[in-house]
Amino acid sequence: MAETSRDRLVRLLGIVTYLDHHGSTPFAELAEHFGVAPAQVRKDISTLWTSGLPGYMHGDLIDFDADAFDRDVAALLDGQGVAQVRLSSREAVALVASLSTLASSGVAPEVVDAVLDKLREALAEPVIVLAEGDGADAGVSEPLMEALRRYRRVELTYVDALDRRTTREVDPHRLVVIDGVGYLECFCRRADDYRTLRLDRIEAVEVLDAAVSTPPGDSAGFSLTPAFRATVRLGRAGRWALEDIPGLTVEDAEDDVIATFDAADAEWVAGRLLAVAPQLRSVEPAQLRGALHRQAQAVLDAHRA
Amino acid sequence: MTAIAPEQRLLNLILGLSNTRHRLTRAQIRDSIEGYAPAPSGADEETAAAADSAFERMFERDKKALRELGIPLETVVDPAHGDEIGYRIRPAEAAMPPLELTAAELAVVGLAADYWQDAALGTDARQAVMKLASSAEHGPRVELPFAGRATRVQDAVAALIEAVADRQAVRFEYSSASGGTGTRTLEPWKVVFRGGVAYVVGHDRDREDARIFRVQRIGGAVRRVGDPGAYAIPEEIPLGLLAAAHTSHTATVALRPESGHALRRRGRAVGVESGWDLVEVDYTHDDALRAEVLALGGAARIVTPRHLALAVERHAAAALEVGRG
Repeated sequence: MAETSRDRLVRLLGIVTYLDHHGSTPFAELAEHFGVAPAQVRKDISTLWTSGLPGYMHGDLIDFDADAFDRDVAALLDGQGVAQVRLSSREAVALVASLSTLASSGVAPEVVDAVLDKLREALAEPVIVLAEGDGADAGVSEPLMEALRRYRRVELTYVDALDRRTTREVDPHRLVVIDGVGYLECFCRRADDYRTLRLDRIEAVEVLDAAVSTPPGDSAGFSLTPAFRATVRLGRAGRWALEDIPGLTVEDAEDDVIATFDAADAEWVAGRLLAVAPQLRSVEPAQLRGALHRQAQAVLDAHRA
Repeated sequence: MTAIAPEQRLLNLILGLSNTRHRLTRAQIRDSIEGYAPAPSGADEETAAAADSAFERMFERDKKALRELGIPLETVVDPAHGDEIGYRIRPAEAAMPPLELTAAELAVVGLAADYWQDAALGTDARQAVMKLASSAEHGPRVELPFAGRATRVQDAVAALIEAVADRQAVRFEYSSASGGTGTRTLEPWKVVFRGGVAYVVGHDRDREDARIFRVQRIGGAVRRVGDPGAYAIPEEIPLGLLAAAHTSHTATVALRPESGHALRRRGRAVGVESGWDLVEVDYTHDDALRAEVLALGGAARIVTPRHLALAVERHAAAALEVGRG
């Protein structure tokens, strides 16, 4: 992604502030700290050097030590009062909201709370009101965090989305919070493959003595292989029920919407579609219609028994 | 004079406005801040007018950029100089308060920015990280076995935050599980996050009362209506709305053995009845429990309340029709 002038301005302000705090600093360290190449730091210093107050004569400009510059070290002589600017309301909301979401998942590192405290204190006007989420069950998250810390394998009792309960040994790799819900990225020895398991579907965790022996997977998130592409037409009032399906696209079609998404399991998708059944207009492919029909019949049989 | 990049012009503008004793007028900015082209001297009327409007456009863009950066730009009217507006920045108000983040804390802030992925808020969050990095200690990269991401953050959240900042009403299409679809006009007060879900709370102009909306259920664009600064945000925001939206009811659900594990974990076993286990569960929304029972496809049945059991049957009957194709 090309750098915008706003990005660069924020870094220019940041470099002066950093030098104010930390004294003279090699270009290489500034480059690492701000995530750019050392050559870019050199350009940034040159730009700063020619910026300053109206008049733009010697004494009006931001000034650096020329000898240090030749040794690839930034040494600030006069910052002209330049300082990093405070967070805009959007920036503050973006950070505080995601940090709080991570914190309320109950599985975030403790340092998240420390950062939140610092930010809340610094933001003069609290920009956002937050309620706490339900969090993860400590009986599940604590042994998992211990296993992650000690690189130990764990045995889990897990209930999948189709309500099947299994016991499996997994190598835990990472805890991930997706849309506020905690997941465990792991290698499942039972499936002999990488899995992303919902924490609130884990019923029990036991830390084993065996060490983790598989590397973390490359791709974060879900590892389900899509089996077919589903197309569902439904009334607008029903669109809310599908909106958390990963990879969903929704198009308007008169008073309806047409939702398209990749699905791995017809039974699971059919279960979701039942929730908005009165809004359904058409369901493709036939495989998904069949699953929907079967499940609807089973629900009716159960209720009319 | 070689052309000056926009970021350097903005830097000069910030410095000039922060160091002025009183204020700078547009004309002073144009003539004294490096990066703007001064009014051409001795040019014909047409050329001068074109240069004037080019400056105005550039300055308007720059004012917007400063606002988006979070820099409060103060307008100063000086009675001695008629109605010409001047500008200044108060450095103490514009500066980032010292936070002194550790390297580990900065790593966590980076994770928080990644949470938004490519949503509009992601750009804001990454810019915030850069700002926070300015005063943070430098240390070796901290790797944490932890990450977060959002898959369904709509740009509507960013649009609503901006509308709140501008005190400007918005209009959007909203579909709720109970109320169907309709257009709502709202004076937004706050965006509230709860467990990864975004809500907007505000004054609903049509219902003439405070209301809370789930941002995910907004369809299409959030449009601004009326003027900025059109209303005040109350000191006390009735977040009880969020709590009220979570009032709890109790249902009795019959489950086949070895099924409905999630309901069993949340609920209380209250007996057995001809092959079904009876479980009492607390729930907030009819639609959520109805959906959960439906998704169990016949392994669960609602015993009470009656209206919920009938709703489940109605849904199944409708699905049966569609399933026939």
